[in-house]
Amino acid sequence: MVGTAHALERTAARPRSTWWRRRGTRRAVTFYAFISPWLIGFVALGAIPLLLALLMSFTNYDGLNLDYVRFVGADNYARAVNDPDTLHSMQRTLVFVGSTVTLGLVVQLGAALLLDAPVPGRGLFRTLFYLPYVVPVVAGAWIWKIFTDPNGGLLNALIGLVKPEFAMNWIVEQPTTVLVLFTVWALTGGGMVVFLAGLQGIPAELKEAAQIDGAGPVSVLRFITLPLLAPVILFQLVVSLIGAMQIIQQPLLLAPGLLGPGTLPPRDNYLYVVHAYHEIFVNQRFGYGAALLWILFLITLGLTLALVRSSRRWVHYEEAQ
Amino acid sequence: MEERVARYGRREVLKRTGVLAAGIAAAPLIAACQTSTTTQKTGKVVVMTDPNEFGAEDVKAIEDATKLKLEVVKSDLTRLYAMYAAGNPPDLFRVQAAGVPQYISRKMVKNLQPYFAASKVLKPDDLAPSNNFYKWDGKVVGKGDLYGMVKDWSPDFTLFAYTKAFDEAGVKVPSDSAPLSYQELHDLATKVNRKSGGKRTYWGFVHSNNDQWIDRTAMNMLAEKGQSLYSADFSTANITGNAEAVKVFKYLYDLAAEGLQQSPVDPSPNWMGADFNNGQIAILQYGYWFSAMAESDTTKGKTVMLPAPTWSGTRRDPTMTATGWVMSAQTKDPDAAWAVFETYMGGAPAVTRAGSGWGVPGLKSLYAKMPTDTAFQKQVQKVLGDELKYSDGVLQFNPYIGEETFSTTWKKHLETALKGQISFDKMLSNIEADVNGAIADGRKIVGQ
Repeated sequence: MVGTAHALERTAARPRSTWWRRRGTRRAVTFYAFISPWLIGFVALGAIPLLLALLMSFTNYDGLNLDYVRFVGADNYARAVNDPDTLHSMQRTLVFVGSTVTLGLVVQLGAALLLDAPVPGRGLFRTLFYLPYVVPVVAGAWIWKIFTDPNGGLLNALIGLVKPEFAMNWIVEQPTTVLVLFTVWALTGGGMVVFLAGLQGIPAELKEAAQIDGAGPVSVLRFITLPLLAPVILFQLVVSLIGAMQIIQQPLLLAPGLLGPGTLPPRDNYLYVVHAYHEIFVNQRFGYGAALLWILFLITLGLTLALVRSSRRWVHYEEAQ
Repeated sequence: MEERVARYGRREVLKRTGVLAAGIAAAPLIAACQTSTTTQKTGKVVVMTDPNEFGAEDVKAIEDATKLKLEVVKSDLTRLYAMYAAGNPPDLFRVQAAGVPQYISRKMVKNLQPYFAASKVLKPDDLAPSNNFYKWDGKVVGKGDLYGMVKDWSPDFTLFAYTKAFDEAGVKVPSDSAPLSYQELHDLATKVNRKSGGKRTYWGFVHSNNDQWIDRTAMNMLAEKGQSLYSADFSTANITGNAEAVKVFKYLYDLAAEGLQQSPVDPSPNWMGADFNNGQIAILQYGYWFSAMAESDTTKGKTVMLPAPTWSGTRRDPTMTATGWVMSAQTKDPDAAWAVFETYMGGAPAVTRAGSGWGVPGLKSLYAKMPTDTAFQKQVQKVLGDELKYSDGVLQFNPYIGEETFSTTWKKHLETALKGQISFDKMLSNIEADVNGAIADGRKIVGQ
């Protein structure tokens, strides 16, 4: 009787045991168990909102209640093409992205090159350069607002030393300049660290060999450092581009007055995501706003793919050994 | 073999993930489609309001009086919309008058008329006139059933003068007994306005809170002549075709163009109340509530409250915010929500608020509780007592657009006009076109 029971148990357990014993299954389950925190987060906080936003972009949803939601086809996408504010904000966004990404990369790389050299106090300077990166964006915006304030800001005071009658309301008269400089200032530390890591990965013997062959610092930079750093430059370029296309906090925080749903940056800083935000939360066009954001996603994707494709010409990877 | 098994696992996981995702995605939609609103009584009432004006003492007083548990959620329009979309809005939430017609016409808030009719605390005869902003009969603000109540309010078009700016300009501070006309106010503002070398000392006349309430200011000026910013059915904004509206907006535009008022080209990094406290504004248009904070270290003893100016000689000084509470139409326990509402509006918290001086009480029977201890408070009460005679009116907010749609459109086009990129007339037609576009969208949504 006992023996029969054991036999039944063994029989019942066998398929499960066999399934579990398969090495591939065990590996797959283990793999997905390990990535499940990210996967669940991505699905719940990324994929589902994206899907809902896509569905929303084909409706007239205005955020108030769902009773009046209707399918409107591609109307919201057609509207975007004919909306002068959309075109204006995209134009301003491209100006901002071009300026910020270019200047940002130059400053980040420049800072990394300077602080890669064995100079005294290097650690202190690395910390100082990195500091703005950890300053919260709200605090950073206030620093810049105070810095550029026409009624007692440091910037006007410094210029006033050489030009006594100088007076400029920077965030009104030069809003994009202030926005670009603020953004570059805030992001320099993060990019600098990435470039520093890249620089430290370049074999010293390559530089030494070039120097023995008579290459000066500029030649070493041009023919050794930059080519070997190209994958890092590409990475920073892509990340900066995507980040700059999506920027919203900085122009709103630098806008005059206190922050609220109706906060409006100066027209020059009326960037694309600010426009989408306004359409959603001020004009109650949630469906249209969602369409604007999907269009932005497609444009960003296109620019990124173009960048990656162009990298075949200027980015060289080490061959696998 | 190993590879085949691994593929099977990946597919299975993705399949299950997809099912999970669909479930999560559908949950709020399913919840939103539920029509049952009164089946669950949890003994808890969720209130979305500003924690700065609804403190721990209020919560305790209400919980003690009603034996209900309160959950306070910070006021946040985005979150409110999300909660509505998920079918789980707060039971009570803070609103301003501008949003009320839209909430009512979209059936988002509950008709409280039966509760008011039965209440022994909030009696209709005792309600301050500002509560008329919570009435909407589908056609006009101020008629029909009550859907909410002000927590407190102010006649909002009164002025606060910083006497130091007047003294420095050698100009006499106007009388606090007779109202100025808007034209006199403009002329006075020109005299006390001071800016030199790009640095601002005093703005002459600041109003509308960084233009956030520009439509309300214009509406009140137009209402003196029995006119409205919108057509009778709210289907269009009446600006370019209305000579009086053009005059009103030209006046407001000129204040900005002449540098008397804060504007997109001459902004303040602060809100206008703080600027007044810092002694940077000569004349500020704000309601009675501001008297509770008008006297800072800088402005103490140098602040005078003045009557609301008139556009065409007709005195009119309603509230422009009417901040108060409404009840969600989807509340699961309206009786419990009403108990909280009634206690907050007419119980101990209301008495405390009345004595604080942060607004005129929502009940006339509490008017006598307003503070009159200091000389400034006495002067304020003298002006307020007169203004209350002219504060019965309402402003006709458009039910098809958001609270900030008009003002944001105004600011957008004002900047380009002030920078000389478009003319004043073009600015007005642009504003009208944008606002009418938003109205058309709102009407289309409700099938009109």
